[in-house]
Amino acid sequence: MKQVFFRILISVVFFILFSAVSLSPGFAEDRREKIQVVGSTTVLPLVTRAAEVFAEEKKDAVAITVNSGGSGVGIHSSATGRADIGMASREISNKERERFKNSDLKTIVVGRDAVACVVSSEVYAAGVKALSRKQIRDIYLGKIKNWKDVGGPDREIVVIDKERHRGTRHVFMQYVFGDENARAPGARLVTGSNNEEQSKIAQSDAAIGMLSLAWINEDVVGIAILEGDEAIEPTLENVRANRFPISRNLNFVVAGEPEGIVREFVDFIISPKGQKMVKASGYVPVHPL
Amino acid sequence: MNRNAVIEKVVWGFLCCLMALSLAILVFVLAAVIAKGLPAIDWEFLSQVSRNFGAAGGILYQTLGTLILMAGAVLVSLPVALGAALLQTEYLRSERIKKTLRHLIYSLNGVPTILFGLAGYMIFGVYLEAGVSWLTGTLILAVMILPTLQVSIQEAIEALPEKYRDAGTALGLTPWEMVRSVILPQSIFGIVTGVLLGLARAAGETAAIMFTATTFSGILLPQTWTDPVPTLQTHILILAQEALSPQAIANAWGAGLVLLTLVFVLILAAHYFRGRIPMESER
Amino acid sequence: MAFISLATVVMLFAFLVQQSLSVIAAEKWNFLFGLDWWAGETYGALPMIYGSLMVTGLALILVLPLALGGAVFTSEYLPARYRLWIKGLMELFAGVPGIIYGLLGVALLGGWVKNTFGLIDGNTLLTAALLLGIMVLPTIMTLAEDALHAVPGQYRDTAFSLGLMKWQVVLSAVIPKALPGIAGAVFLGLGRAMGETIAVMLVIGGLDKIPDPWFNVFASGQSIPSKLGREAAEAIGTDLQWSALMALGLTLFLMVMILTFMGNFFLKRAQ
Repeated sequence: MKQVFFRILISVVFFILFSAVSLSPGFAEDRREKIQVVGSTTVLPLVTRAAEVFAEEKKDAVAITVNSGGSGVGIHSSATGRADIGMASREISNKERERFKNSDLKTIVVGRDAVACVVSSEVYAAGVKALSRKQIRDIYLGKIKNWKDVGGPDREIVVIDKERHRGTRHVFMQYVFGDENARAPGARLVTGSNNEEQSKIAQSDAAIGMLSLAWINEDVVGIAILEGDEAIEPTLENVRANRFPISRNLNFVVAGEPEGIVREFVDFIISPKGQKMVKASGYVPVHPL
Repeated sequence: MNRNAVIEKVVWGFLCCLMALSLAILVFVLAAVIAKGLPAIDWEFLSQVSRNFGAAGGILYQTLGTLILMAGAVLVSLPVALGAALLQTEYLRSERIKKTLRHLIYSLNGVPTILFGLAGYMIFGVYLEAGVSWLTGTLILAVMILPTLQVSIQEAIEALPEKYRDAGTALGLTPWEMVRSVILPQSIFGIVTGVLLGLARAAGETAAIMFTATTFSGILLPQTWTDPVPTLQTHILILAQEALSPQAIANAWGAGLVLLTLVFVLILAAHYFRGRIPMESER
Repeated sequence: MAFISLATVVMLFAFLVQQSLSVIAAEKWNFLFGLDWWAGETYGALPMIYGSLMVTGLALILVLPLALGGAVFTSEYLPARYRLWIKGLMELFAGVPGIIYGLLGVALLGGWVKNTFGLIDGNTLLTAALLLGIMVLPTIMTLAEDALHAVPGQYRDTAFSLGLMKWQVVLSAVIPKALPGIAGAVFLGLGRAMGETIAVMLVIGGLDKIPDPWFNVFASGQSIPSKLGREAAEAIGTDLQWSALMALGLTLFLMVMILTFMGNFFLKRAQ
């Protein structure tokens, strides 16, 4: 009996060993071309879908790995050669330019997006339809703590901040505080990705946060920004017309001029076909459809 | 009823309640995963490629990725664990050194897995230039499951009835012959148990591989040593954090149920095999 | 080859120390006692250390009655047949992957905590502690049960012969005898809870702050593993920020090692 088990064990081990090494013919001599894409979660869904289609068109002779991590990670990875393309939902900061001045970083705009100031649907329904820059700033500073101070219900504000390297935060803080790295001492919660923030705001009935246009829905409402007397709604039309004040480019960050298959993928994204996917993902195309 | 009998009943009832509550909580965990995960699972889900950012298709290659990392980790870890266990049971004479070593194994078992991930990435990924790859993940997991394997094997060998060894000695076997023809065959269930528990531990691990070995999409099966793989664990993690549609979240639960089933099957099998280890007491 | 575990632990420790040197040189004691962590400017780790201790401690308080009650019941009152079933079940549940608990925490527990306690948000230290408590419940229960079960029958017999009732026997003879083993079980469980990354990361709220007042468990916080999990990808390759994270890792390593050593110490004494 034990002999039988011993043999079974040995055969199982060898089977696993064998199948692991022979996963595909020509293991370890790779014939596919590879593209590594890392970065912003705002750009991630778009690029994941585009990569699927692109690989299909190339008859799977190309492998595109797409991973998240945030814009800072994207820029950092492409500058240090850990990725071919970095996704960034903001521009490269001066600090980063200084730090990676040897890498010859270039940005390629693939789409446009807005960062909306969003609130829980309950707050919107109760009358908070627009906020001024000063009001948002005071909320994030913790000076305004209750929604009733800005025309809402008598409820404490759940101020949701984002992790510091997130592109969405950079763009939002640049507008609200004039400093992309501004601190937000009023924050009650720090989230990472867009979806995490979206679900936290949706779960709450008194939250305020910052979110890319593509993540806005009936539970998470983008409010208008008051500039003077004008209330500017976060809509695709306003982004396209450059009216909404917290708009941004969605970028590919590359070190040096892209070549070969990477170039082809970049061209695919800015081609009419790729730009249609930008639109389908909820962003504004920047090249002709 | 006298006073003591009443207290007896009360104590019994109280403890019974605590036990029932514990079980209820754990069963609830299981029930929740099944209830949420089962609707997502059908043949297509298990046999198709993940598409449209996890909202469509299935988890075939995520499952394969998890299996590859598990199997690779055990393949690397088993010879080391076996060697270490044999050395400690057969060759080491000093009880004190044995004790100290065992102590260290337990400490290794307690190290937070994320530290394995970070240090492993710097050592295997950066220093040895394996990058973010299934190889890096395999090596990190191999170190991580080493204690699990070694302890199981060692316990099985130590539990071997003395008479087997006596018989071997009487036949004038050299230590190596003894190991090959007596110890290993007789402790085979212990080795199998260790392997299964190691596989289960590797399958359930996320923190150690999330930025060292995995990719969300783009690669299905690794074709070189330095390709990353998609895995069930990180698939669930990314979907839980980034998913856009309810369908993608439903698929995350489906993937969770598959992962949980995998782990449970491994542990149950380990339990079965452990029951067959011949014990000293059965002499 | 037998020394490979020794080598791994020592190498890991040396690696963490070496990597954290530069931040320790830059921050000195401010690293341990600073309240402010702002990548690129200042690295004060106290909120994360606080978060780890708080969450682990709270998980212990929540889970201890359940685990010990269950262990005493299983060992002393349950017929042997059921006992094996329970042990098997606990072993099974001890293997549930952290990511499953994370998913549960995000989808169910967070909302439950928010509604039950009437909070404005469900991502709190308490949520993380509850999740960790459930996670380590099977481990602590089964190890504590082992300790109780290992108490030789003669202690029970002696106690019974004095005319004591069963609950008195358990309380005065069995539990004191099993105490080192139980303590060992608790410490090992705590070690596991303190190192858990994924489940905690998804529900703790990610705020690098000590709540005000400090025992307010309904506030968001941050634990060391969660901080590492969230920030490591960004920091790879940077100098000071990476070093600061490694120093956090070192702190975690030392805290968990103390717990593990205590656990093993007590378990050894129990044998």
